[in-house]
This record gives sequence, structure tokens and C-alpha cells, in this order.
Amino acid sequence: MRQHSKKVSWTAGRLASGWFWGPLLTAWAVAGEAIAAGGGKPVTKLVNVVDTRNMSPGFVRWVADVYNTNLWLYGLLVVGIMAGMGIFFGSVFDRLIAMLGINLGKLDHHE
Amino acid sequence: MDIFEIYLPVAGMHFNVLLLLLIGFTVGVCGGFFGIGGAWIVTPALNIFGFPMAYAIGTDLAHMGGKSIVSTMRHGKFGNVDVRLGVSMIIGTTIGMEAGAQLVMWLERLGLAEDYIRKAYVVFLALIGSYVLYDYISHTRQQKALEAAGKPADPGALTLAQKLQRLRIPPMIHFKASGITCSLWLPILVGFTTGIVASVLGVGGGFIRMPALVYLIGCPTLVAVGTDLFEVMITGAYGAFTFGAKGRVELIAAMWMLGGATIGAQLGTVAVKYVRGYFIRLLFAVTIFIACASVLLKQLDLNMASSVTILVAGIGISLVIVGLLVRGIVQERAARRSGATQVEA
Repeated sequence: MRQHSKKVSWTAGRLASGWFWGPLLTAWAVAGEAIAAGGGKPVTKLVNVVDTRNMSPGFVRWVADVYNTNLWLYGLLVVGIMAGMGIFFGSVFDRLIAMLGINLGKLDHHE
Repeated sequence: MDIFEIYLPVAGMHFNVLLLLLIGFTVGVCGGFFGIGGAWIVTPALNIFGFPMAYAIGTDLAHMGGKSIVSTMRHGKFGNVDVRLGVSMIIGTTIGMEAGAQLVMWLERLGLAEDYIRKAYVVFLALIGSYVLYDYISHTRQQKALEAAGKPADPGALTLAQKLQRLRIPPMIHFKASGITCSLWLPILVGFTTGIVASVLGVGGGFIRMPALVYLIGCPTLVAVGTDLFEVMITGAYGAFTFGAKGRVELIAAMWMLGGATIGAQLGTVAVKYVRGYFIRLLFAVTIFIACASVLLKQLDLNMASSVTILVAGIGISLVIVGLLVRGIVQERAARRSGATQVEA
């Protein structure tokens, strides 16, 4: 009985803990986004092919080739580049702002 | 100006890179300051300059995800992001958006969607703007009256959010960054409601979620801004992938807009340091009223006037925010030089 109540207390403690809810809720959120985005009216089909015949080699030509070849890869490329740029520029401008001599520590939530 | 023209391969057109930087910067400042995505500025702004509508939404979502990472990082360091609260809201929002989509399809089958949704959008914007403005005015008057009478600041009667927090429906969760303890069902239900509204109106929902976080959940304004940006970041990332996989994202345009947005987002986010929560609400109300006017112009088939209104307003508001930032920095440095310990916004 005492072991059973210990088990119940341990389980209750875990359920109340952020370490349990955090990953669970995050997984739900990501899966939920997929379900919600999949619902509703389907997007009308619009076939687009980038004309690369007169494009010179370079980054833009490479993006166009990925777009023409594999849209799933293109989607991943979009997310990767946007996230990478966001993190990189966010860090760079963070340091630049700090060089202005502003205190960038935690704020009081003054209303 | 031809030297600033770049070729956008997916959209199949040339576009002025300075415009992309300007649009990105404007939305970055407003987004970092108010905690919104800013699609209602970007989409008409791109369209007004000839960007194909088919790609405007996807391109905007893509850059919004990246821009929101910048703002969320900075707000996180300020202690303004309540991740647990944000994830709880997202659970409700995703279900709500699906429910909203089903509601739209039902209204379409009845032949009522176009009529009801267009009117609902204007009414909803007007209501949000009016309530936030009313809240600011009544709070300011109350505080001035108390100061004049020499009485300490009064928290006032229980707000709706405080009453909702008292509902004891398990599980009860403490949201550390917000400093509130409430039932987990509260942010889920608020997220669900805002999700339905956003889906029906066909918007991302940042401008609905931010006031909902303040008035229905009881978040401090700064935490509402940061937490909403966290949600926009996740929504934007998923939107970037799904629209990209459908071939609806002009990546080169998104990269240039993000370049401007990262600068704007930093400035807008740091500006909140120097502004009181209620003043953010006042500026938010003004922004919402301008958005309402723009939507009304569009419904009167004055599309050009609508797009110009929102773009000019966006630039004007971002200049006000940058002005507040510059003033705050000057005051802080002057205070530090004079050895003072406090800086008043």
C-alpha cells in the first residue's frame, strides 16, 4: 500500500512537472500545426517553372534549380535559410545594439 | 534606380531591392514592438508594387518566421517569453483554426461567407481597437486622479482576466514568466477562440492573440508581446515550409525582406524597454484603427487607397517607435552619466 502510494506520488509529481508537460505540449503543438494546416480549402493548383535558360550560374540559379526539381526540398530550403538568417542576423545585431551601451538584461514588466 | 533592381526567379519579375528592405524593416519594427506578424502590412505593400498575389502570402510567411526568431531571441533575453504559455495557446489555436476553416466552408455552402466575413473583419478590428483605446484612457484617467489626490496607485477592481484565473479547473499551471497561475484550459480555450476568429477572418492572428493574452489571460503587456512572437515564430516556420512545398514562396524576395526585418525587429524589440505597457496598448489601438480603415477602403473597392493607407501608416508607426527608442537610449545614457539610478519612459 505504501509502495503504491509512493508510485502514485511519483507519477503525480512527474505529471505536475514541466519536464513532462513541456515535451508533450511541444510535440502536440507541432503535430497540431500540421493537422490545422492540412485542413480547410485546398490551394488551387498553380504550376510554375522557373525559366533558367538565361540565368547565369550562382546562388539564384541554384535556388531556381531546386525549385524546378523538388518542391519539398525547396520548402525545407526556405525554412532552413530563413531560420539560419534569423539566428545569424539576430545574434549579430544583438551585439551591435549592445555596443550602444544599453542595458539589455531582464526587464521589469511595468504597465 | 535600375542598379537596385533584382531578378526574382520564382515570381518571374524584377523588383526594387530597396522596397523589399523598407517593407521588411517597417514590419520588423512593428512586429518586434507589438508582437505581431504584420501580414496585413506586407501583403498589400508587396501587391501595390506589382508583386504577384499568388506568392505574396507565402513569401510573407517565410520572412515572418525568420523575423520572429530575431524578436523572440531578444524578447527571451528580456524575460518576455513565456514558452509554456505560448505552447498552451498553440494547442488551442491549431484546433481553433481547423474549426474556423470548417465554419468558413459551411458559410460558403450557404452562400454567406463573402458577406459575413468581410463585415465581421471590419467590426472585429473596430471592436479590438475601441476596447484597447478605452482601456488606455480609463487607466490613465484613474492614475491621474489618484496622483492628484496623493493616493497610491490602485490596482482597481478585479479584471476579467483575474476572474478567469480564479477558475479552479485542473490541471492548474504556474506560468513563470507571466507570473500567473491558472487552469491550463484557460490559455487553450483562449487560443481556440482566437484560432477560430483568425481562421474565419483569414489572418495570422497575432493582432488578436496579443490583446487576448493581456485581457483574457492577464499577461503583462511585454510578456504578451514576447509570447505572441514565439507563437508567430512557430506559425511562420510551418507556413514557410507548407507554402514553400507548394511553390508559393519567392525565396530571394523573402531573404531581402528578412535582411531589413532583422534590423527593424531588433529596434522594435529594444524599444519596448523604454515604453510603459499601457503606451504600447495605445499605439496598438491606433495601428488597429488604421488597419480597420484600410480594410474598409478595400471593401469599397478602393484597393490602391487601401494599400497606400496601410503602407504609409506602417512606415509612420515604425518611425514613431524608432523615435521612442532613440529618446530612451539618449535618456539612459544621460542618466548613467549623471549617476541617476532610474530612467522614466
